[in-house]
Amino acid sequence: MKPTTSRIARSLGDWTWWPPRQPPVAKIDHSIPLFETHSLDAHLLVAAGPIEVVSIAPSPLRPGVVSVPLGGLAIKSSGYTFPQPTLAERVPAMPAAPLPADRRLASPRAAAPPTITRLKPPADVIKLADRLFYVLQPPLETVVAGQALDFPFHPFPYQLEGIAFLYPRYAAILADEMGLGKSMQAITAIRLLLHAGEIRTVLLVCPKPLITNWQREFHLWAPELPLTVIEGERAKRLWQWRQADSPVKMANYELLQRDRAVLAEPGLHFDLVVLDESQRIKNRECMTSQVVRSISRGRNWALTGTPVENSADDLVGIFEFLSPGHLSPTMKPRRMGKLAGDYVLRRTKDRVLTELPPKMFRDADVALTPEQRETYRLAEDEGVLRLTEMGEGATIQHVFELVLRLKQICNFDPATGASAKLERLSADLEEVAASGRKALVFSQWVGTLDKLARRLARYHPLAYHGGVASRKRDGVLQEFKESPKRQVLLISYGVGSLGLNLQFAQYVFLFDRWWNPAVEDQAINRVHRIGAAGPVTVTRFLALATIEERINQILDEKRELFDTIFSDVQPHRHGGLTRQEIFGLFRLKCPSGPLDLAA
Amino acid sequence: MRSRDGQSPPALGFLTIVGHDQHGLFGGYLVLNHNGRPLEFHCTAPVKPNRAQEILYGPTLEPFLYGEQIGRTLVEKSAVEVRLICTDLAPVLALREYVSAPVALVLPPEVVQRASSPSGGPQTQDAAATMAYRVDTAHLRGTLPAAFSLGRNRLAVADGHADDRQCLAAVLESLGGHFDLFEPFARIRGAIDEAQRAAR
Repeated sequence: MKPTTSRIARSLGDWTWWPPRQPPVAKIDHSIPLFETHSLDAHLLVAAGPIEVVSIAPSPLRPGVVSVPLGGLAIKSSGYTFPQPTLAERVPAMPAAPLPADRRLASPRAAAPPTITRLKPPADVIKLADRLFYVLQPPLETVVAGQALDFPFHPFPYQLEGIAFLYPRYAAILADEMGLGKSMQAITAIRLLLHAGEIRTVLLVCPKPLITNWQREFHLWAPELPLTVIEGERAKRLWQWRQADSPVKMANYELLQRDRAVLAEPGLHFDLVVLDESQRIKNRECMTSQVVRSISRGRNWALTGTPVENSADDLVGIFEFLSPGHLSPTMKPRRMGKLAGDYVLRRTKDRVLTELPPKMFRDADVALTPEQRETYRLAEDEGVLRLTEMGEGATIQHVFELVLRLKQICNFDPATGASAKLERLSADLEEVAASGRKALVFSQWVGTLDKLARRLARYHPLAYHGGVASRKRDGVLQEFKESPKRQVLLISYGVGSLGLNLQFAQYVFLFDRWWNPAVEDQAINRVHRIGAAGPVTVTRFLALATIEERINQILDEKRELFDTIFSDVQPHRHGGLTRQEIFGLFRLKCPSGPLDLAA
Repeated sequence: MRSRDGQSPPALGFLTIVGHDQHGLFGGYLVLNHNGRPLEFHCTAPVKPNRAQEILYGPTLEPFLYGEQIGRTLVEKSAVEVRLICTDLAPVLALREYVSAPVALVLPPEVVQRASSPSGGPQTQDAAATMAYRVDTAHLRGTLPAAFSLGRNRLAVADGHADDRQCLAAVLESLGGHFDLFEPFARIRGAIDEAQRAAR
C-alpha cells in the first residue's frame, strides 16, 4: 500500500517538529519520487517557500543495550588424499588390435544402460580412508562409457556388479553359474585395478585347456594389457616368471607344481592371484593347493561355478587359499554360509539373464538291447560276487572299476557293439541334421567317442577330447563353428566341459552321465550361455534298471544338501558320490576309514 | 593451496552440503582428476548455527554458512588447485567471492530437462523460487542467475562473475565434453554417509 500524505507527515514527524497553528511549511508533491527501494515507495518533498525549521534538542536517551554475540562458526574438517597413478605410468601398453567386426556393437556407447553401479567397500576394509576411496570412485558405467578405456561391448548390469564386487576385495569368490561371463568380469576388474595403479602384477592360473580361451578373452576385453603365458622349457619358464615388465602372467595348474621352487623364491610376488576353476584346490592336502598357497601374493580371487562340488569341505579348501582359517571343516553349514557371505558372489542365469533362451531337458530313458542286458547281468553278478568275497579288503578302486565297467556296457555291448543309446541318438541326430543345426555329444570315455565317430560317420562328426593334440583343438572348434557340414562335435567331459564358448550349437546330448551333475551343467553351459542362438535342448541318456539309474537317484538327493549350505549366496549345489555311496550302489558295506570323494 | 602446473590435466572440485536432522550440516568437498578419479576428499564435522544466528542472518544464513563458512574452509584445506568448483546448491555460489576459481551451479538433470523446454527455465522452478539471497555486496543479489548449457551439463554462475562462463567453457572443452558434472555429488553424499556410519 502506498503511504498517504498524512502518513508520511506523521512518519516524518518523528524527526521534525511542526509548531501548532502555523501554516504548513511544506507540501507533498505526489508526482516526483524522492527515492525508491524494494520495500518503500516514498515521495519527494518540494519546498513551497522558505522552509522554517524549528529545532529542539531532545533530551539524550540512554537506551539499554543487549549484545547478542554471533561469534564465528568453528568448522572442523577432515581430509583424505588418494593415489593417482595412470596407466601410462604403471602398465606398458600394447597397441590394441582391431576387433573382429562381429564382436563389436554397432554403437557401443549409444545403448548405455541407465543403471548406476558403484564400488562398495567390503566388510573387512576397516580404515575410513580406505572405505572412502572406494565410495568416491566413479560409477562403473562412467568408466565404461568414458574415453580412457575402450570396451567392445556394454557389460550387462549384473556383470558390472560382479566387477564392482571383485575390485575392492582382497579375498573373493566369483561363483556365477557357467556362461555368465566370469572371465570377462575378472579381466575387467584386473584391468581397472592395473589402470588405477592398485596392483602391478597379476598371476592367473587355469586348467591347461583353458589357456587359449583366456588369451582370447584378454585380447577382447583388455587388449592393451601385455600378457605372458608361462610355458615351454624350464629355462624359458624361469625367465618368464622373473620377467618384470609383464603385468599379467598366466599359467596352468600342472605347471605350477613343476615350478613350485621358482614360486617360492623370495623376490617373486604377485599383487593378485586369480584361480580359475578353483575347485581344483578344494582338497587342502593336494599338491596343487599347497603350491598355490605358497605363492607370495596380495589379493586372492577364486573363479568357479561350483564352489561346493561334494561337501562343505570344498569351500573350506578354497578359503584356505583366500583367507586361511576363516572357515573350518567343523562349522555347521549355516554358520559357514554366513561367514562366507561377504566373500562370495553367486548369480544364476534364471535370475540375471531372463532374456537367455530357454534350456529344455529331455531324459532319454532307454532299455538296454538284449545283448547289452545279458552282458550287463553277467558283469554285475560276477563283480558283486567278487567284492563280497573280498569283504573288508574291498577298496574304493575295486568298486569303482565295477561301476565303470557297467557304465561302459550301458553305452556299448563290448562283444557285439549293440547300443540302445546309439539307436536313439542316431534318430535324434537325423532331426538335428535336417534342421541344419549343430549338436554336442558328451561322453566321459575317449573309447566311446571313437566308437560314436565310426558309427555316426554320415554326420561327419568332429572330435574334441584328450586324444586330440592340444595344438589342433582350436582348429577343431573353428571348423565346427564355420563348416555347415560339421554338425556334430563328439566331446569329452574332461576336456570340453570347461571354458569353451559353443553357443552357436543348439543341442546337447549327454551320452553317459558324469559322476557329478555340476560337471554335466558345465558341459551344457558350453552351449547355453550369453549369445546362445536359440533354445537349447539337452538330452540326458539313462539306461533303465542299471547302475546309471541308481547313481542318478543318489545325485538327485544330494542336490538338497547344498541348498542348505548356501541358501543366501546360492553356490552350485550339485555334489558327487562319496565312498559310502559308491559302496551302497551294490548294497555293500563301506569299510572303515576316511571318506574319499569320487568326483 | 599448491600452485597449479599449467601443463597438468585439469582438476575439478565438487562441493555440497548435506543436512542432518539431529547433527546439522556436513560439508563435503571432492577433488577429481580429468577422468573422474578422486584426488582428495574433505568433509566437515557437523555445523549447527545457534538460534541467534538463525534469527539475525535470516534468509542470508544459507549463503553465509554454505559458501562463506563451510565452502571456504573446505576449499582452503585442499592441497590441489582446481580449475573449477561445482556445486549443486545455489547458496554455495557465495563462495565465489573468496576463491579464484570459477564456481558453477550444476542444475540437476530433471531441472535441465524442464529448463530446456520452451516454457521453462531454472528461475521458474519451485526450488529457485524459494531460494533466498543476501543483499549485501558479498553475495548474490536477488534472483537466481541465468542458466546456460555446456555439453551435457546445464550450469549457472554467480552474478557479478559473468566472465566465469568463458572459463567454464574452456575447462569443459579440455575435458572432452564427456564429464557428467552432476554425478559426483552422489559420491560426496555417499562418503559423508560412510563417515557418519564410521563415527557411530
